[in-house]
Amino acid sequence: MGDTTGIRKGAVIQHQNDLYVVTDFQFVNPGKGSAFTKTKMKSITTGKSIEITYKSGESVEIVQVTRQNMQYLYKSGQFYSFMVQSTYETVELAADVLGEDIKYLKEGLDVIGMFHETTCVAVELPKKIQYMVKVAPPAVKGDSASGNVTKEAEMENGLKVQVPIFIKEGENILVNTETGDYGGRSGE
Amino acid sequence: MKHVEHIQKQRPALDTRWRMLKQTREFFWSKGFTEVETPLVVRLPGQEPYLNPIPLVLHNELGKTFAGYLHTSPEYTMKKMLTAGYEKIFFLGKTFRDCESFGGMHNPEFTMIEWYRAHEDMSALMQDVEQLFQSLGYAQSFERLHMRQLWKEYADLNLDTLLTAEALFAACMSKGYHPDADEQYEDLFYRIFLNEIEPRLAEQGPVIVHHYPAQMAALSKISADDPRYAERFEVYIEGVEIANAFTELTNADEQLKRLTEERALRQKLGKDVFEIDPEFIEAVRSMPPAAGVALGFDRLVQVLAGCKDIDDVLVLPASKLFL
Repeated sequence: MGDTTGIRKGAVIQHQNDLYVVTDFQFVNPGKGSAFTKTKMKSITTGKSIEITYKSGESVEIVQVTRQNMQYLYKSGQFYSFMVQSTYETVELAADVLGEDIKYLKEGLDVIGMFHETTCVAVELPKKIQYMVKVAPPAVKGDSASGNVTKEAEMENGLKVQVPIFIKEGENILVNTETGDYGGRSGE
Repeated sequence: MKHVEHIQKQRPALDTRWRMLKQTREFFWSKGFTEVETPLVVRLPGQEPYLNPIPLVLHNELGKTFAGYLHTSPEYTMKKMLTAGYEKIFFLGKTFRDCESFGGMHNPEFTMIEWYRAHEDMSALMQDVEQLFQSLGYAQSFERLHMRQLWKEYADLNLDTLLTAEALFAACMSKGYHPDADEQYEDLFYRIFLNEIEPRLAEQGPVIVHHYPAQMAALSKISADDPRYAERFEVYIEGVEIANAFTELTNADEQLKRLTEERALRQKLGKDVFEIDPEFIEAVRSMPPAAGVALGFDRLVQVLAGCKDIDDVLVLPASKLFL
């Protein structure tokens, strides 16, 4: 059990005899009635997405999940393979379980898998991930004068990030996975 | 450099914002409105039970302290101005609300356009809203729907029979919701509205939803044609509420009664409780018939700039300043 403050991405909720993973949620206070949490969630059994709006503070059946360290291995066909580090078992996840997070995956990345019984229902990424900059056009004279303090760079896995103009190809940088923003040079 | 980076990244949306600020002001001036400023720091903010005004302390030159709040809306002052003789006024500025999310649909400070027309009712405001959107380059036209129509169409319920908390409670139960036994009419209403109706509005173009149950009148006048409903409308774009409008209540005794009830509810909910502004009640007593609307400017920018998150249309949102 829990209430709406326990709703977050990856939380597992029991709703009408089915289990759902929260894929997105939004706090809304219309100012007239009480505040609400709009929750998008996907059924673990059918994959169907639904949207439920809970009144703030309402009790919500949040199901305990176990967290296991996993390492991203590779993409094969429609699936993304991870290895559970404690058992060396391989877990295959479909693209829709990972959602937006797919773009941050790179070989060997350590993530946390959220398991309900034996099913991995969601993956939690580290807050910051280090990438090697693969493509970064050199700064052009006058860039900072015209107000361009950032430029687009491509990481080793194809991820595109706005970085400060002084970043060069081959450097290692950190990327914030919550915002997709540049998070500093690694080691800084 | 995170702050500078945010500003650079959002530059196109921000430039849309500055253009819209200018166009909005031009629109209202061209229609004969006067732009006004109201105090942002007030002693007695609004009594809306579910809003949390941000408290603060002022000091005078002798160090004497005065408790105050940042306003949650310019409404009380603007109504005092109507009573003082102003007829067409608009406010375009910051309002403040505590205890809301940093980003997504909310930011603790946000920009509101609020305008009033003396001697008019809400139909004049519907036209203003439509023309404002047009003047900002929004091409789609609005559909006007009675709240009753929406309930019939999307929830298969006859709202005319659900105008008391008891009836609505029973309807919620039969639909499988689990409301608390003492839940307010408004909360019961929003359970069904937010779960079954609002998501469907997202599929529709821009909509003006008018006539709310009299129980949800807030500061609006009860409809003369049908006293079961209040003269209130909201504007929805892609399922997001963007404006709330009333034919204003001008009965001071009724006003005082509703604010007293709201204040009691604030107390029950454990919110900050403050005196009902007696100057406001007195102003309402001699206020001319009028209609007023509050429109969230940031959400308007989001619509026109195609931004899902309010943070994307703010120079420095609270999430960048505090998180």
